[in-house]
Amino acid sequence: MDFSIFLQYGPALLKGFGITVLCWLAGTVFGMTLGLVVALIQRYGPRWLGWIIQAYIEIIRGTPFLVQLFVLYYGGPLVGLRLDALPAGILGLTVYGSPYFAEIFRSGFRAVPHGQIEAARAIGMAELAIVRRILLPLGLVSSLPALVNFSIILTKETVILSIITVPELMYQVGRMSAETFRYLETNLVLALFFWLLVEAISRVGRRLEARITKHLVEERT
Amino acid sequence: MQAASVDIRKVNKFYGPFHALKDIDLAIQPGKVTCLIGPSGSGKSTLLRCINFLEEYDSGEIRIDGEMIGYDAPGRRMPGRKLRGMRRAIGMVFQQFNLWPHMTARENVAEGLIRVRGMSRAEAGERAAEALEKVGLGDKMANHPSRLSGGQQQRVAIARAIAMEPRVMLFDEPTSALDPELVGEVLNVMKALATEGMTMVVVTHEMGFAAHVADQVAFMEKGELVGVDSPARILHEPEDARIQAFLRTYHERNSF
Amino acid sequence: MFSIPVFLDSFYPLFLAARYTLLISVLGIALGLVIGTLICAARLSPYGPLRRFAAVWVSFLRGVPLLVQLLVFFYTLPVIGIDVPAIVAAVVTVGICASAYISEIWRGAIAALPRGQTEAAIAIGMGPRDVWTRVILPQAFTMSLPALINELILLVKASSLVSVVGIMEVTRASQAQAATTFRPLEVYIAAACIYLLINLCLAALGRYLEHRTAV
Repeated sequence: MDFSIFLQYGPALLKGFGITVLCWLAGTVFGMTLGLVVALIQRYGPRWLGWIIQAYIEIIRGTPFLVQLFVLYYGGPLVGLRLDALPAGILGLTVYGSPYFAEIFRSGFRAVPHGQIEAARAIGMAELAIVRRILLPLGLVSSLPALVNFSIILTKETVILSIITVPELMYQVGRMSAETFRYLETNLVLALFFWLLVEAISRVGRRLEARITKHLVEERT
Repeated sequence: MQAASVDIRKVNKFYGPFHALKDIDLAIQPGKVTCLIGPSGSGKSTLLRCINFLEEYDSGEIRIDGEMIGYDAPGRRMPGRKLRGMRRAIGMVFQQFNLWPHMTARENVAEGLIRVRGMSRAEAGERAAEALEKVGLGDKMANHPSRLSGGQQQRVAIARAIAMEPRVMLFDEPTSALDPELVGEVLNVMKALATEGMTMVVVTHEMGFAAHVADQVAFMEKGELVGVDSPARILHEPEDARIQAFLRTYHERNSF
Repeated sequence: MFSIPVFLDSFYPLFLAARYTLLISVLGIALGLVIGTLICAARLSPYGPLRRFAAVWVSFLRGVPLLVQLLVFFYTLPVIGIDVPAIVAAVVTVGICASAYISEIWRGAIAALPRGQTEAAIAIGMGPRDVWTRVILPQAFTMSLPALINELILLVKASSLVSVVGIMEVTRASQAQAATTFRPLEVYIAAACIYLLINLCLAALGRYLEHRTAV
């Protein structure tokens, strides 16, 4: 095995890594936002809209991410949706992640005891204030472990974007392998890299949880 | 702040086919304490929750100082804004305290003052401190609910309600979730509130409280209001066989 | 615009390809069950190095994207002198990846059993083997059935990735179809429909099992 090729391809790999992080961050932030909106509509919106959203959730969760990307990137132009690979990839990640995030928020909201919302109603708080001051903060906290977990899953999904030619890390590694014929080394290094990345994010996530839930845990004395 | 009257007339409530409240009539004078007692599932909590319209009643009317709550006219729901305005005047204390766990005791009390009464943060904080002093928790203001005992949490919940300067207070089994040794501190706060002349409606299993503090006691069973009278008449010389049976089981369970 | 005839025409070849999707997913989960059970046993074993090996196995396979695993596996086998058909390599990769998740499903189910169950068995004098085969495993299995169905659904979706190593499953077949018809929108939506159909059936099966095993 020969790992010196990595030096030669350093800049390309670094750029690829940057794009991977960009896709992941954008996909997580947009996906989470869309998911939150979806969860709020499911909770407060009219019944018929809820059904449409449920169908959307089932469709996205029932089909492979890769096929969704193909529909969007190769099928999109036929209905006038012409996107470059990178924006298509980010949009794809957003759409793909949103139903999972929505489900996470939905069960997070369900975990907020109804009494705490009633208490706010009983002192005359407006519905919007209740969402902002009670439902969201408490719901977000109870969703946090699942949110962290799913955003870690999304880091792994970014590699699939290479198939529609988004120039992220996997894509760069693929090019490098094709040029050097060092398929094994390159992919092994890529595997190790993701392993470390995912472990690191998990650790940060657990720290964050511990800090945020500090006040909410019953103190046993 | 003037204490308000509560007038309940011919109130009915259904859960599907289940008739939860049957033609309830009950008049509560301003400044008086009314205890609702009865077996569990008798509808007393439901009735209490209808008074601030957390639970919708299906027919009849409930009036706070003459103003009907929940409906503008029979069958026509009042707008949310108007309902919220009426709820400001009705404080409520829950069995499970329902404090907001992400806020300190003081923030819990101040929240309603800021969001509903539109006070500034500083003013609300000051008022919250006063309310907490009043329930004897001046030294626990910065604690989150997770660092308070059940009795302390319930006192914060009472402070949260009285800080809004309500004209009626509703208590839904305020001591049922507490360990026995913590019941007293909560009842004492409630007694103090009663002597100040607050209109209070209390669903409770504390017969001692009902006997000593209440001006009238209402007994409910199976969605019906069986009897309303002075505590002495209901608790010591009940005429109705259902009340007698209830008190008998109560005494059996509490003697050893 | 969207052409219904093209859309309908693309179903037939994709249905044929769905056999491979199903084959890879089902064999993958079967292999995953076998390896996953062993890994779970290793994780619960009293022997330290074995436990650590299993923990690394699970953490590595869950931390590395399946696509990368596929390529590593695909290019490692020839290097160490094993020459197997692509489909075998695909099934083995999918199975190994699934083993990490399945061992966690087992572990979760076993951990969720009330301690009293084991204590009751020991109290009436059962040996450790009976405790496992008569009390713990049967309950853990019924408890994890819905989670295993869910894992199968994930595998059906994940199997789309083996298209990159040239196996003619639904995704690869739809790519070929799109290349000849120049109608990617219709073809890929048809492919999505097939996956959706398979997964909705599996989800219904999962709900049925969950309902039946609920006590």
